Formats: sequence, structure tokens, C-alpha cells
Amino acid sequence: MGTLTSAIAASRSALTAERVRIEAAVSNLANAESTRGPDGTPYRRRDVVLEAQPVGPFDTLVGGGTPAAGVRVAGVVEDRAPFQRRYQPSHPDADAEGFVALPNVDQAEEMVDMLGAARAYQANLSAITLIRDVIQRALELGK
Amino acid sequence: MSIAVARQVIAAGNLANLDTPGFRAQELAFDKALDSRVGGLQLASTSAGHLPAAPGPQAVAARDAGGSPRRDGNTVQLDRELLTMTEAAGDFAKAQTALAAKFRLVRYALSEGR
Repeated sequence: MGTLTSAIAASRSALTAERVRIEAAVSNLANAESTRGPDGTPYRRRDVVLEAQPVGPFDTLVGGGTPAAGVRVAGVVEDRAPFQRRYQPSHPDADAEGFVALPNVDQAEEMVDMLGAARAYQANLSAITLIRDVIQRALELGK
Repeated sequence: MSIAVARQVIAAGNLANLDTPGFRAQELAFDKALDSRVGGLQLASTSAGHLPAAPGPQAVAARDAGGSPRRDGNTVQLDRELLTMTEAAGDFAKAQTALAAKFRLVRYALSEGR
């Protein structure tokens, strides 16, 4: 059962990672029109970098076989793509030519990203349910 | 049961990395797993000069499951992994039923048929 707990640990790491992705997408959507960030420049789109990472090193040490491949958030990076420009001379942040620099956020892209993350979250939740059932069956041996 | 668990663990790892760029889906190398089970059989040594057979591999190996990568180089297929997990859970339940029946027999014998 030791390795089954490492399978759950892998799924749990994915739940965390997918939640971070959803949070990033929500933050991007919320700031799609923010022309002033903390440093005075428009908001930059945030992207989450995921990285595979083995979980359950203890199981491997005691000969539990292949470690489960978990996932971790390697970092949140800012998208360096150029800002969008919109002609709006009345805006206080407009430049001399009357253009406003808007965040490099594509709302459709964020929605698709959010859907993908939500589906992945659901899939990992199903995985945890399945593993839990297996553990339950293993415990029934003692009855 | 151990093999069902190993498949479960590998599929869970694949699912966890559903969105990791460049991640290659893994699968249980069934032939290797089988070898590690029957590898425990020893050749009969009828003469003192016989060398013992090499021990079989102990750890269950995972290998690249293949499949064409998506644009981000990831080869995990959601449906495939969930199917593997369901299948492995079923296999585990089958093995558990058989083992539980065996235990019941032992208990029956221990209680002298009462």
C-alpha cells in the first residue's frame, strides 16, 4: 500500500499545480484591461511552468519499485509578448500619439487554458477516488 | 496485486503530468514485470559444478508508452490513463477476492471447521 499512497501524492501534487494554473488564468482575465501595474507599466500575462518530479522517495528507498511521477510548479513567468495598442487619446495613460498600451492578455486563450486546467483537475480527482477504492479493497483482506 | 498497484501508480503519475511540457507517458513493462515474478524460480543444480541462475530483476520497470506527442511534446492521453486506472482497480479487486477466499479457507481450518 506504500506505493498507493505515493500515487495519491502524485495526484495531489497535480491538484495543486492545476489550481495554480486556474489562479493564473483568473488573474490574467481579471487584469485584461489593467494599464497600470505596481511598476507603472501595464499588467503582463502570467504563465505557469510545470515540471515533472518523482514523489514518494521513501517507497523507492525501501524497494517499493518505480516512484510515481508527480508534478510541481517550477515557477510563474511573465509573458514577454508585446502589449496590445489601442487608440484612445482620452485615456490618462495614452502616449503622445494617443495610443494606450494594454496587457498582452488574450481572453479566449485564458478561457481555453482554464478549461484545460479544470478538466485535468477533475481527472486527477477521479484518479484519487479510484486509488482510494483500491486501498479500501486491500483493507477488506483483514476482515 | 503488486502489478495492479504498479500500473495504478504509473497511470497516476501520467495523469499528474497531463500538462507538463515534454513529459513522455510511461507504462508498465509487462514482460519485465512477469520476468521479475517468475525470475524467482531456480534451476535445479544436480552437480556441485553448476552455477546458480542470475536472480531476476526485482523492481518493476516502467517504459515509455510511445504515442505521438502533442505540440508541447507531451504524450499523455487522458482517456487511456483513466482506462488503465479503472482496469488496474478491477484487476486488484479480482486478486483481492481470490486471496480473501484463500484466507477464509485458512481461517476455516484454524477454527476446526466451526
